[in-house]
Amino acid sequence: MKFIVSLSFGVSLIAAPSFAKDVTIGLAGPLSGPQAYFGSTWHNGFKLYIDKLNAAGGVNGTTVKIDQEDDKADPREGTLVAQKFCDNEDVVIGLVNFNSGVAQSTLPIYEDCTLPTMTFGSNPALTQQGYKYMVRPVANDFAGALLPAEYALQKLGAKSAIVVNDKQVFGQGISEIFGKNFTAGGGKLLDTLSVAPTDVDFTAVLAQIKTKNPDVIYLGAVMPQLALFAKQMHEQGVKATLLVPDGGYTPDYISQAGHANVQGSLVAVQAPPMDASPAIADFAKQYKEKFGSEAGPYSIYGYVQGQILEAVLKNAKGLTRADMNTGLHNVKVDTAIGHLEFDDVGELKVAPSYLYKVDGDKFTLIGQK
Amino acid sequence: MLGTIIQQTVNALTIGSIYALIALGYTMVYGVLRMINFAHGEMFMLGAYAAFLGLSIFIGDIGGAGAFALTAIFFGAVIAVGLVGVGIERIAYKPLRNSTRLAPMLSSLGVSLSLVTGIQILAGPQPVGFPSFFPATRLDVLGGTVTLVQIGILIAAFVLMFGLYMLVNRSRAGIIVRAVSESRPTAQLLGINVNLAISLVFFSGPLLGAAGGILYASYYGIMSPSMGAVIGLKAFTAAILGGIGSIPGAMLGSFILAFVEVAGTALLPIVSGGILGTEYRDVLSFTILILVLLVRPAGILGTPVSEESMVYKREF
Repeated sequence: MKFIVSLSFGVSLIAAPSFAKDVTIGLAGPLSGPQAYFGSTWHNGFKLYIDKLNAAGGVNGTTVKIDQEDDKADPREGTLVAQKFCDNEDVVIGLVNFNSGVAQSTLPIYEDCTLPTMTFGSNPALTQQGYKYMVRPVANDFAGALLPAEYALQKLGAKSAIVVNDKQVFGQGISEIFGKNFTAGGGKLLDTLSVAPTDVDFTAVLAQIKTKNPDVIYLGAVMPQLALFAKQMHEQGVKATLLVPDGGYTPDYISQAGHANVQGSLVAVQAPPMDASPAIADFAKQYKEKFGSEAGPYSIYGYVQGQILEAVLKNAKGLTRADMNTGLHNVKVDTAIGHLEFDDVGELKVAPSYLYKVDGDKFTLIGQK
Repeated sequence: MLGTIIQQTVNALTIGSIYALIALGYTMVYGVLRMINFAHGEMFMLGAYAAFLGLSIFIGDIGGAGAFALTAIFFGAVIAVGLVGVGIERIAYKPLRNSTRLAPMLSSLGVSLSLVTGIQILAGPQPVGFPSFFPATRLDVLGGTVTLVQIGILIAAFVLMFGLYMLVNRSRAGIIVRAVSESRPTAQLLGINVNLAISLVFFSGPLLGAAGGILYASYYGIMSPSMGAVIGLKAFTAAILGGIGSIPGAMLGSFILAFVEVAGTALLPIVSGGILGTEYRDVLSFTILILVLLVRPAGILGTPVSEESMVYKREF
């Protein structure tokens, strides 16, 4: 194996002489299924930046190609895509896996074939496993679950909470972190409940929650379970404030749960509002012109990943996977969401996170960090 | 406490009646053809999509429809799915009726996959918001919260099940169906139109399944192409628990399964002192299924294995 790796490494060195004119970036995310909205709008943000970059002649004469694949938010699909990217020598960076559960399975494959990735899955454990070929250009769940806990305690004056999760890598991880933050801040965690990830009926769990009468409920799950839970929570007469992670940051959350059922619900997400700064507003305008619809919650991160890639290419000595990996870990770049650089394990040194409240048909920003 | 018991009971009855509407389709098909119709969960899904299509064509403004229009669309959709069911039987199962017992079952698996994929292509794979067929009013009953949607589902399901009961037990068509389910060769020898009876079963089963689908989508406010998979499996389980082939058995099994699920969610953490969480609900319900089958292999109300079904068994 070592021999093959070093051999292919040598081949790729020979095969990537200085006159190479393009690099391929592998994109993997959910493009179909309930989470397709997140995956495709995230990738679109990246495409928007890359198209601009290529139109301007590329970086130092190098243009960027895109190989976009659907991982269906499913680890089994994700690993197939990972293997495909690994086997394609033109792919030098992977912009991969929206879901922590998928990233958990694909990162070892990327590590094995020394393909550097910008991983989007936000479970904190991903960067703790010693991977040398990954960076995470987005806040992890430590940040994502800290803000809502602080807000619930300080602004809502909540004393008690119940945590519900869907037993998946992301949902369970982020809800446990919320629980820890909530107790550390002086709140009381009444109970932790779990549901099956494919459940649609939460009435029995909710009727049980009602008897405990918590001030807030934190639900660590994804769509469409978030909307189903919010709707049934209202119908079962549970009066607590519902806090949900980033999956709820979509118009579907409001429309599928029913307008009246989600008012006042809080959504914690890493994405800034589209009018947060002139740079972001400008991005939102370009996005709408190009794709004919409003930018998605993570489109801005796709765009920022384009900016990171540009900086990496600008300073790279060559175009091999190894060069890209060194470049990614040492990048220092001013992006649309601020200055970004990575620490030793590939985590952002400063990671922005935001908290929104459902207000009518919109999400209103009520806190940020 | 009383409020919680009332609320949980209504929750269980609501889920149970939706399971029952679907389970009846499995059990009736098994009753006359001794086959498991794996495409039945998809009739449930088609019901919701047909109603949604009807709403968008005839009413346009989904959600603003009046009671009469909704009732018309409800019956239009379930009858349409009933006809689809008859068509599927004619095309995919009837030519295989005299081949091995596995052939029509595999054919039904194929039908199931094609329907799911077809709807995914036509309507998109994403879950779609579904308007409620009942007003979303909440009622306070002795401290428990019950919605009008739940009450509407209960009434609709019981009316439909009563209608089926009358059809099977009190009508001439019912006699034909019962005769064919007793013994198909004998019924045929006595000059009974076997095809008519089978078509009737493949009309009323999918009709009830589709009704379950519309009620389900109204209740949860959401429909998706894959919605039939999980709930279809649950209803199938309920039909086996009650005794597959038996109509009262399917209803009984559905309500038992629903009550076990709700009780499992509500009581497991309390009874086990927090060791077993609510996520063990399915473990509990399927353990009970296994235990029941160990004691009564034919299900609670199922007929014990007869000589005829022994012959069928040997074919596997």
